Amino acid sequence: MTVQIERPPSGPVGVANKHRRGSAGAGPRGASRARGLVPYLLLLPACAVTVLLLGWPLVKDVLLSFQNLNMAQLIQRVTEWNGIDNYTQVLTGADFWRVTLRSILFTAVNVVVIMVIGTLVGLLLARLGKRMRFTLMIGLVLAWAMPVVAASTVYQWLFAQRFGVVNWVLAKLGWESMADYSWTSSQMSTFFVVTLLIVWMSIPFVAINLYAATTTIPAELYEAAALDGAGGWKSFTTVTLPFLRPFLYATTFLEIIWVFKAFVQVFTINGGGPDRLTEILPVYAYIEGVGNQHYGMGAAIAVLTILIMLGLTAYYLRIVLKQEEDEL
Amino acid sequence: MKRKLISAIGVAGMMISLAACGGDNGDGGGKAGADGYAGQTLTVWVMDGSSPDQWQKDVAAAFEKKTKAKVKFQVQQWNGIQQKLTTALSEDNPPDVFEIGNTQTPAYAKTGGLADLGDLKTEIGGEWTSSLNESSIFEGKQYAAPWYFANRVVLYNKKIWADAGIKDTPKTRDEFYADLKQIGDKTDAEPLYLPGQNWYHFVGLTIGEGVQLVKQQDGKYVSNLADPKVASAMQTYKKFQALSKAPKDKDEATPQQAEVFGKGNVGAFIGMGWEAGIAIKANPKIEKEIGYFTIPGATADKPEGVFLGGSNLSVAAGSKKQALAKEFLRIALSDKYEGELAKINGVIPNKESLQSNLQGNAVAEAAAPAAAGGGTTPLIPEWAAVENAPNPVKTYMTAVLNGKSPAAAAKQVEAELNKRLAQQQ
Repeated sequence: MTVQIERPPSGPVGVANKHRRGSAGAGPRGASRARGLVPYLLLLPACAVTVLLLGWPLVKDVLLSFQNLNMAQLIQRVTEWNGIDNYTQVLTGADFWRVTLRSILFTAVNVVVIMVIGTLVGLLLARLGKRMRFTLMIGLVLAWAMPVVAASTVYQWLFAQRFGVVNWVLAKLGWESMADYSWTSSQMSTFFVVTLLIVWMSIPFVAINLYAATTTIPAELYEAAALDGAGGWKSFTTVTLPFLRPFLYATTFLEIIWVFKAFVQVFTINGGGPDRLTEILPVYAYIEGVGNQHYGMGAAIAVLTILIMLGLTAYYLRIVLKQEEDEL
Repeated sequence: MKRKLISAIGVAGMMISLAACGGDNGDGGGKAGADGYAGQTLTVWVMDGSSPDQWQKDVAAAFEKKTKAKVKFQVQQWNGIQQKLTTALSEDNPPDVFEIGNTQTPAYAKTGGLADLGDLKTEIGGEWTSSLNESSIFEGKQYAAPWYFANRVVLYNKKIWADAGIKDTPKTRDEFYADLKQIGDKTDAEPLYLPGQNWYHFVGLTIGEGVQLVKQQDGKYVSNLADPKVASAMQTYKKFQALSKAPKDKDEATPQQAEVFGKGNVGAFIGMGWEAGIAIKANPKIEKEIGYFTIPGATADKPEGVFLGGSNLSVAAGSKKQALAKEFLRIALSDKYEGELAKINGVIPNKESLQSNLQGNAVAEAAAPAAAGGGTTPLIPEWAAVENAPNPVKTYMTAVLNGKSPAAAAKQVEAELNKRLAQQQ
């Protein structure tokens, strides 16, 4: 898909050179400088919003992570710097590493399931007739549009021990022992409910994205493949897949990020319980930081979470940036 | 392929949004003058269920009449209240007056978020029962005003008990258990609704055993869960919990136990007297069936130990309406309205002289015999951190109920409990 070509003499550099020459001479300096500023002005609103909404909290978080900030300090508004105490305490404890490993495994399982089912649904969308596609699309969009807290609450009700529909249905279907099953009482059953919820909410994005990608594949390619004697599987692997690859990359990595920071689902379903066994990093940061009113510690865990996230997605960022470079 | 770069930037942006932790610095609020209350509104936080609508209406009317200012009551939930309160107290506009649990008061007194109410104590607090005022005093200063106290009772469904052929309420723990068994055998009702994490009842049982959940060791507070007396309290809890189908890993608020009871198919539950109101709201028909009795102890002469829950009223140190807030306390804690609260809710008022309001109140009559033997969790600033979710005491309870030995369960949560008790303040 990505075609390697000789790097052409790059346009923008030439333009810039010309400008520099222009400004050195006696030409219309003001006009060309203004023209040079336009792209930056256009970028400004987006940059300002990013800095304000993302950059500032990030800076604040980093600053907090070097402070001893508890109930008293917060209420009295005093700042107590304590160097890297928070980090040493977090990094030397066994809890943090256990939670990190759990987060990574949890993310891996979820993303694999989401990508497989999402891709299949996406391909199904491409094959369906108009009416069925429309129906399925509406279903997907509704699941996608559901607010996370609302969805989590509904799942909580579905899987409630005594009055939940799931247990009732299972009991009616013959699994009598499931009548009073407590889904939140063990690590794996809690993760099962959380995973089901996350997968259900994430499939629409992947499916619709993939479906959109398939619409960009020219039909002639399939004809050509068919003339060459390619069957369904062959034309999928040689025509469809190469076209979908960049979309698969992008959605996979977006899903990694979204699942990794799936705080709301995990926290609402069982608060990281039972016995703190389903805490993933963002939940751990919340419970140590906000829940335990140890805000500096929570901030330190959040910073470490970002670093881990960067590490996990570094590979993807590298591919993207490398491609970008190749294509210039 | 520019869109790839764009998506890469998007990816980076999304990672940054992982971090979101707030906290602003600034300066504390000032004070309002003594005059000119008209047009002002005082914000008062009360906890879920603690003050009846009628009381709020009456107090608001009296307050408005005296000061010309309005009062706005905001009802808060116990779960997560500490985080909410801490954040609120750090802001420029904290709630002016708020209800605060007695076991949480010392920690907040230590933070400096509570205004000194020494003058108010001198003015109106001369008769406050000293044992009830204990939690409000920190390092010799008065940081809150005692408001009301209450202990748990057994709320039971008279019809179900009659259906099971039980004529009298039980006087001992064994009788109680036998009665519940009989309900289980003779009716299709659930004898008792007792979730695994009704930890206030568990604290009561430990008080009955004469033991605290923490102990002092080398000048520090540490876990005392391994004490055999704690284990025996837990065994009592477990024995009764086995009669219930309630979840072992939930507390009495999820789902609200009174609402489950309100469905009419539960023999009894252990709760606050006012929880009857929740049941009645859920199912008005249940009202005539609800009865109350003291939680029976091991022997007939001594009722079960109970957690003497209580609430104080505090004024935020950062409130700009200190004088008005004190006016509110003068009215709310006056004999008239303190008495009214005791009467409606059946709670113990802050003065001995107001106890007459409890006469003829079924809840209060069931609660009173146990109150004398009641107690609290230790009134130390270190305690508040223990109550933050996930509360290690609740974890301990669930572990035992799920089959761990009390000793093993105590060992499991010890580190977490000690960490919280030693947490840097």
